[in-house]
Amino acid sequence: MAANNYFGFTHGGTQYGAATAGAAYGGQTGYAVAPAATAATYGTQRAAATGYDTAYQAAAATQAAHAHAHAAAAAASAYDASKSAYYQQAAAAYPSAAPQPQPAYDTTAKPAYSTPATYAQNNIIIQGGGRAGAGAKAAYGSVYTATTAAASYPAQAYTAPAAQQAKPATNRGNSAYDTALYNAATMYVAQQNKTAANTGWKNYNKSGVGAGQARRPKPPPKAQQLHYCDVCRISCAGPQTYKEHLEGQKHKKKEAAAKANSSGGSGAGGRGSGGAALRCELCDVTCTGADAYAAHVRGIKHQKVVKLHTMLGKPIPSTEPTKLSADKEGEKEEDDGEEVQPVGQDYIEEIRGDDGKPQSFNCKLCDCKFNDPNAKEMHMKGRRHRLQYKKKVQPDLEVKVKPSMHQRKLAEAKAQRMLVRDEMWARRRMHEGIEDDERAYWESGAEAWWARGPLPPHMHHHHHGMSMGYGNVGRRPETSDDRHVIARHAEIYPEEQELQQIQRVVSHTEKALKSLSDALAEQAQSKGAAKPQVKVEDKKDDKPEGKEDGRDNQLFSFMGEGEGNNGGSGEANASGTAAAGTVARALKGVMRVGLLAKGLLLRGDKDVRLVVLCHDRPTITLLKRVAADLPQHLHRLKAPNDESKYKVDLLPAEGAVQVSDGTVNVLVSLTSAVMREPAEGGDAKRDDKDVLPRQKCLDALAALRHAKWFQARAASLQSCVIIIRIMRDLCRRIPNWTPLNPYAMELLVSGVMQSAGGALSPGEALRRVMEAVAGGLLLEQGPGLRDPCEKELVDALGNLAPQQREDLTASAQQFLRQIAFRQIHKVLDMEPLPKLKTGGGANSWKFPRKRRRSHTDHDHDTPNGEGKIGRTEEIKAEVADKPAIKK
Amino acid sequence: MKKLQSTSLNFSVLSFRSGVCVFVICVCECVAAISGNLRITTVKNSSIRFIIKGRGMPGRGGMGRPPFNRPRVLMLRPPFDLILAEPAFPRCKPAPDDTALTQALLKRHAELCPTPAEQAAVLSLVTKLQTVLDNLVVAPGDFAACQLEEVRQVGSYKKGTMMACKNVADIVVIMKTLPTKEAVEGLSNKVNEELNKLMRAEGLGNVSSACHERGFTVTAASSAVRVLVTTLHHNLRKLEPEVHLDYKVISSHLAAIRHSRWFEENAHHSSIKVLIRLLRDMCARHSGLEPLTPWMIDLLAHHCIMNNPARQVLPINVAFRRALSLLAGGLFLPGCAGLPDPCEAAHARAHTALDLPAQDHAAATAQTLLRVVARGGHRYVLGLQAFEGGKDISTEITVWDGVVVSPLAPAYNETPEPMDTDEKEDEGPDGVAA
Repeated sequence: MAANNYFGFTHGGTQYGAATAGAAYGGQTGYAVAPAATAATYGTQRAAATGYDTAYQAAAATQAAHAHAHAAAAAASAYDASKSAYYQQAAAAYPSAAPQPQPAYDTTAKPAYSTPATYAQNNIIIQGGGRAGAGAKAAYGSVYTATTAAASYPAQAYTAPAAQQAKPATNRGNSAYDTALYNAATMYVAQQNKTAANTGWKNYNKSGVGAGQARRPKPPPKAQQLHYCDVCRISCAGPQTYKEHLEGQKHKKKEAAAKANSSGGSGAGGRGSGGAALRCELCDVTCTGADAYAAHVRGIKHQKVVKLHTMLGKPIPSTEPTKLSADKEGEKEEDDGEEVQPVGQDYIEEIRGDDGKPQSFNCKLCDCKFNDPNAKEMHMKGRRHRLQYKKKVQPDLEVKVKPSMHQRKLAEAKAQRMLVRDEMWARRRMHEGIEDDERAYWESGAEAWWARGPLPPHMHHHHHGMSMGYGNVGRRPETSDDRHVIARHAEIYPEEQELQQIQRVVSHTEKALKSLSDALAEQAQSKGAAKPQVKVEDKKDDKPEGKEDGRDNQLFSFMGEGEGNNGGSGEANASGTAAAGTVARALKGVMRVGLLAKGLLLRGDKDVRLVVLCHDRPTITLLKRVAADLPQHLHRLKAPNDESKYKVDLLPAEGAVQVSDGTVNVLVSLTSAVMREPAEGGDAKRDDKDVLPRQKCLDALAALRHAKWFQARAASLQSCVIIIRIMRDLCRRIPNWTPLNPYAMELLVSGVMQSAGGALSPGEALRRVMEAVAGGLLLEQGPGLRDPCEKELVDALGNLAPQQREDLTASAQQFLRQIAFRQIHKVLDMEPLPKLKTGGGANSWKFPRKRRRSHTDHDHDTPNGEGKIGRTEEIKAEVADKPAIKK
Repeated sequence: MKKLQSTSLNFSVLSFRSGVCVFVICVCECVAAISGNLRITTVKNSSIRFIIKGRGMPGRGGMGRPPFNRPRVLMLRPPFDLILAEPAFPRCKPAPDDTALTQALLKRHAELCPTPAEQAAVLSLVTKLQTVLDNLVVAPGDFAACQLEEVRQVGSYKKGTMMACKNVADIVVIMKTLPTKEAVEGLSNKVNEELNKLMRAEGLGNVSSACHERGFTVTAASSAVRVLVTTLHHNLRKLEPEVHLDYKVISSHLAAIRHSRWFEENAHHSSIKVLIRLLRDMCARHSGLEPLTPWMIDLLAHHCIMNNPARQVLPINVAFRRALSLLAGGLFLPGCAGLPDPCEAAHARAHTALDLPAQDHAAATAQTLLRVVARGGHRYVLGLQAFEGGKDISTEITVWDGVVVSPLAPAYNETPEPMDTDEKEDEGPDGVAA
């Protein structure tokens, strides 16, 4: 305890010295001299107990200057000294009792020499102690009374002993001094006495012999009794409570702790855990940091204590904190001070009260509030705040990593990374939301394709991880649009039965025409033998031998085998016939044209066309002849059980005959290549009355060319025929599209397909056609559709009226957007198809379908995409396979 | 794999089946080393066909894969483009006389060009602001609200496509620190202060600066500069919505830098700039085309002028028609390859920034305008002549020489189409018929 108190005192002393002016310091130097003097005095006067008085006087003489010089301040330090002094007395002087005051003095006082004030006090106390049995008791009895006039009191206290030095024998003077200085300390003594059971202190107290006297010299302006417990540093309202306090558990505990500390030895290690602790001496409060200490000093508790102490006239240590575990902390403080710069001042907003004073602070980075500016400061230096600042404001800010936290930090960082990554993906997903969605749509139906079984071999030879686009160049998944187009196409495609019927009628007509041609030829040969009738040309191009009709959509020549074969083809040769000077058949051949040849028949189409090439200009006579004879030949061809009746109508205005079986109408036009040469037939052979209408003949010739063009160019383009069928259907349904003539439409579609530079799926193809029209291809400024079957520049569109062009374009524009927004069924005039159940696209990866691998027979034939989806299954299958492999 | 004889090998390979296996060979060797009686010779490289792939298989068109690393290959076709499809559609009739349109385009462009005075005003402000910001980059001094990395001019000012009466230049500021709202505010105040010092020194009027969600705008008497705030690329993922400026805004500013650079390198031809001005003006005046961003217009203009088989600069009238025609032909519709964005990761399309209704509306507007221009209404479309007191011609039914041109109904439906709704396709024609 003593040590503890000395420790405290030492501080008090130094602090005092620092705090008060030079005068005080001077006093102390005075002291420094004093001990030597007293020591000498003691040496001489040791024998006499009373000799002390003189010694004391000597000391007091030196002291006097000091004490008087700085009254109040000195008192403050004196006070601190008093504590320790008193304890010494309690501990040493009392138990060892009066008879040997000197050793007591020596032992106890010596450490006190280090601090002069103690010296003085010790003297006094020891003196008091030495005379314990006598008058000092009275003095102590007066202890309980204290004055609140702290400033004046110490001065008085000092003066008293000074005065008393003249009559050292007077106990009263001495006791007064004691009373004045150590009122509080004495309470302690009281207690000590009680425990020590040396003498009944209380009795003295109660006896109050000197009490009245003692009280008298003190001027108590507002005489208020203070009951101050030094250990606990509290004041009690009254003696009773004070007593109770002293007997209380808390107090005892503290006391015991203090004692233990003192006996434990070293004062420095005595308190605190040795951390960065700062201690407020006054309140005996340990703070963990400078900020906390500052907060404490400003705090109401501390203020109270200060007030109390001021009242008591006790020395108030300066607010400089006491550092515990000094050296360690010193460095720490230093580098802390260096590097922790408060950051993010801008992010702390002040919430002001009505008076404009900041009431509280809100840190926007850390989302926390403080009411105290101090706390704000602390927060700004704090690790959490810095971390937030680093995270949210300045990524390169250095935040010291607590080593102990290292592990946790790592974990945190990891979690953070995960979070960030998730977030980033989420963001990206959000970004791509539309596209994913879109992709899902355009790729929906992928399943249908993938499920088709083993992949084509080329799929195996590249790395799938790299590009799926690459992998799908060859075969692209079906989109929803494709499915719609294909479904619609299936709807409009004629039924097998219908086709067969048409086929039969056409075939019969062709055969009948051939036999008619043969008959005519025979007739001509027999009749005009004079004419050198040698058949030269033949339409043998890729026509198989023994061809029975024009099923292959090529020219079905009526020439017999023996009729010569110059390998030419088409009408080009036909014109050369005459030059060859041979006798030609009147009817050289027949060819399917139009829908039939192009394969564009739709459900419900009943009208097909054949073109018969004549050797010479077809005449009405010839036409009539054909019309008259054809039924006969048709009848001959009929199967015995075929009851269908063919009807043949003569249509001279069309330059054609129409063969009909009631449902299917076959228009047989007569034409000739020579019709194209007006020069030849210009005026000379103007027996035009008989010749069929020229335009009709030319149309028929054009139809022939169109059919050939179609077969050569359009039919080979992927999706082209499908789309043309679809477009035909569209033109049939929608009035705006009706003006578009079929051939122009075919040109348009094939041009669009051709320009795509690659294969298009049906859905894409339809869309592209719409794009072309929507983009104004058919408008007046457009390039027009050049007819590839004409030598001159001819616009196949013909004379579309501006309004028609406008309407076509507008309609296509609307269709285009409908296709784009997944309403292709509206364009196609059909019910929307349900989504595929297997649902390719976006969700498929989430719910992978289990695939049986039965049809993917061998490992290397397994699609690479098999993946982990059917992993267990696969393994099972593999295991099942194994015996077989072994064998 | 069938030929493998060893159980142990089978097993080890099995375990790799679903995921890995270029490793198969070395696995085989390992197993061989262990079992000692393996005939690895039966294993041929070619017969082993597994792919190292941790997560699912890409070969299935997205099946079994998380969506994120899905290759961004949208198998979409570019739209029909008449200029590129020239060989398939050779012109078979004389090209129309387009001088009227050309004249109108040039005239309108002259109107749209900013006057020298305007240009000077903007230039002066931009220069000063650049000075101030550069100073902050080089020597921030006590300015601690943020650290600047770089300052760049972007946008129409940089590209030289500014329009008359729109004297707003753009500057992107790249921060080293994260762009919090406070940092932006601090920067704004600092810039304002510094700039005002400069202005005072030159005896010019004061500038004011106001923050907004993209950064802040410095406004002087007759011009303004938007300072767009962004941050370093690697900071992007650290952004938090409530603390910082919006992620999208930040990254769009970064994109703006890329755009400016791309433009400088690829689209400096003045024809492109002319077309950009005309298109921007046209888009601004027709509600449907308004959502098109300047960047889309830049790309479109560049495409229309430069992207042709001959790689020659197309005449302005052809390019203008082409632009309309492409838009009408669904260039910016879903399901179309559109214009690839050269400044984004592969396969990004420029028009996906538009939402679906906007795409629909834009296409429909362009379609109507296309038909109006085809009828000779280019003066209205270009804004040389106000249409019936400033009405939007793309939403009105007009008659040109007896040809009725009517606007189109939107095709986009929020919900998947119920089956019994009436066909919208008839609406346009009906209007015409009436």
